Amino acid sequence: MSFDWGIIWQHRAELADGVAMTVLLAVATMLIAISGGIVLALMRLSPLRPVSAASACFVEFFRNTPLILLVYWAFYVMPVAIGVEFSAFATGLAALSLNVSAYNAETFRAGIVSIRRGQSEAALALGMSRWQVMREVVLPQAVRRVLPVLASTWVSLFKDTSLVSVIGVSELAYVSLQIRSQTFRILEMLTAMAVIYWLLGYPQAKLVDWIHRRYGVSE
Amino acid sequence: MNEAVVLDYRDVRKNFGSFVALNGVSIRVHKGEVVCLIGPSGSGKSTLLRCTNGLEKLDGGEISLDGVVLPRSETGMRDVRRRMGMVFQSFELFPHRTVIANVMMGPVTVLRLSRDEARQRAEVLLEKVGLSEKAESHPASLSGGQQQRVAIARALAMQPEVMLFDEPTSALDPETVGEVLNVMKRLADEGMTMVVVTHEMSFARRVANRVVLFERGAIVEEGPPAQIFDAPTVARTRDFLGHLGWHG
Amino acid sequence: MLGDLDFSPLLDSWRYLAGGLGITLGLSALTVVSSLLLGAAVGFARVYGPVWVSRVLTFYIDSMRAIPVLVVLVWMYFAFPLVAGVSLPSFWAAWAALTLHVAAYVAEILRAGIKSIRPGQVRAALALGMSGVQVVGKVVLPQAVIRMLPALGSIVSVAIKDSAIAATIAVPEYMERSQTLAGQSFRPVEVFTTAMVVYFVILFPATRAVDMLYRRVAHLGRS
Repeated sequence: MSFDWGIIWQHRAELADGVAMTVLLAVATMLIAISGGIVLALMRLSPLRPVSAASACFVEFFRNTPLILLVYWAFYVMPVAIGVEFSAFATGLAALSLNVSAYNAETFRAGIVSIRRGQSEAALALGMSRWQVMREVVLPQAVRRVLPVLASTWVSLFKDTSLVSVIGVSELAYVSLQIRSQTFRILEMLTAMAVIYWLLGYPQAKLVDWIHRRYGVSE
Repeated sequence: MNEAVVLDYRDVRKNFGSFVALNGVSIRVHKGEVVCLIGPSGSGKSTLLRCTNGLEKLDGGEISLDGVVLPRSETGMRDVRRRMGMVFQSFELFPHRTVIANVMMGPVTVLRLSRDEARQRAEVLLEKVGLSEKAESHPASLSGGQQQRVAIARALAMQPEVMLFDEPTSALDPETVGEVLNVMKRLADEGMTMVVVTHEMSFARRVANRVVLFERGAIVEEGPPAQIFDAPTVARTRDFLGHLGWHG
Repeated sequence: MLGDLDFSPLLDSWRYLAGGLGITLGLSALTVVSSLLLGAAVGFARVYGPVWVSRVLTFYIDSMRAIPVLVVLVWMYFAFPLVAGVSLPSFWAAWAALTLHVAAYVAEILRAGIKSIRPGQVRAALALGMSGVQVVGKVVLPQAVIRMLPALGSIVSVAIKDSAIAATIAVPEYMERSQTLAGQSFRPVEVFTTAMVVYFVILFPATRAVDMLYRRVAHLGRS
């Protein structure tokens, strides 16, 4: 069997587009999921029982289902449930956002709960409203504790974007697999895909380790 | 004392489950008065302070500030809290803000002062507690005594009518207790109305106008320090002070 | 619209789906066992082995943190036979790929657990005259294992969730059979919604058990 590694260079433009799409998906998902996670965490901590229960159900459901299934589910169920056809990109983004929002909600909740009660009491004693206490005192401190966990979630998310290839979002995995089936250069393309992910992901993993050392709370 | 009544506790009751923390406590605190609450741990003195600014809800009785009964609602309580400064045993400075930002936080977020005004106010107060040079430091780099002085300045920045101190020196190293007590003494001399939960008997004796001894959620004896420390009328008071090694 | 849902294809094919579920659980269980074994070996060798071994294993672990499971799976199934000259049945290719991936996480957990034991503990044990093996076996590991239990428990959920990705290389597990059934019955909404619920029913108790375990043992691991 002879190998033709030049095939990778020939398709460099498509692969670069795939990488760009992967990065775009990850960034967009994280932006949505950070806001979503904060909202869900605040809902979870609400004294109103139905609000807190709704958030708990959402979080537990999407945390406890495989992401690849969630991608298919979003692909088939969202159009029927909402009555609108979504692009593959929007569907993939929605599935990833649901999943990561659920994880982030837990991360933020843990971060908020980890702030001692005395801190909120001191702020309340100054006459602040609950919302001001949250915004001025609790959240800014929680963010520091949350940052290392968010960084780890980011690395997982970056890899998980590969799963939206199953509904045809043209990110790195999809593009690589497409070139494979067009050219039959299986080993070359699959290895190239792995290497590109490695080149992108390895520095991220190392960066996360550094963030954990720098900001990690050892309590 | 003929001054107006600032805080009026009438038959205050508070339970935690089946534990009776306050079992019908009545005290009047007059303007400019320093009232020290003493007694064994768990006797209800800290709970009384926490009830005063609404961190705990009452189960019975009422508390009035300047003749107005404290509201039960969270929003109503917010307006009342602005008029009371509270100092905690564990300081509770906000670690993510500098010292001066801690002092400015109340005026800026609650009183809606401009940052310049708040800063001026904070600078004066830090000067007063002797920590001007630490204004831009973070709380973590301060000693316990310094942190507590900042916490006092933070409470004073709201220009409260009354200051509540919840065991302000209990978490401090012995060598820094004095600096905090000195700041409190000066505050008392300026005529601030103060309610102080404390184990510092010499401070109570020197500074208080009135000392109230608590046990099991009720008042055992109250009176001027000379009475409590030198001529207690209740046997329990003698026992308590005797256990602390206080003999007149 | 959602009004005219029809779950009858699911009922008609319940044996087919149940068989898939069996494969999902079998693949997950095998993956958990092999990952724990491989991960433990890698973790120990990384912490206590010679420097060059430690470097190589660190590289392996960090690479697995960088490459998606999907990519490892697909490579193992389609590309590995071209290099090795032997092709693996899809189930075993999935098992190998998932093990390779999950074992890296196990190794990380093990390392973090061992590293979390204060050096004073080791010094105290050495001061008693214990050998290196005794120190690890009698002092370090008993404490570390307790701290690692919750993280190791979560490996079960990870294995079950990742096993669904094996559908991409046609392992006939629950996810793959759901896809097939959805295509045949033209009832994807019902089939995939049911699949979501089935996975949830399996995964939720596993997650809760880990949370409870965490609360139970957290105080035991403190020193």
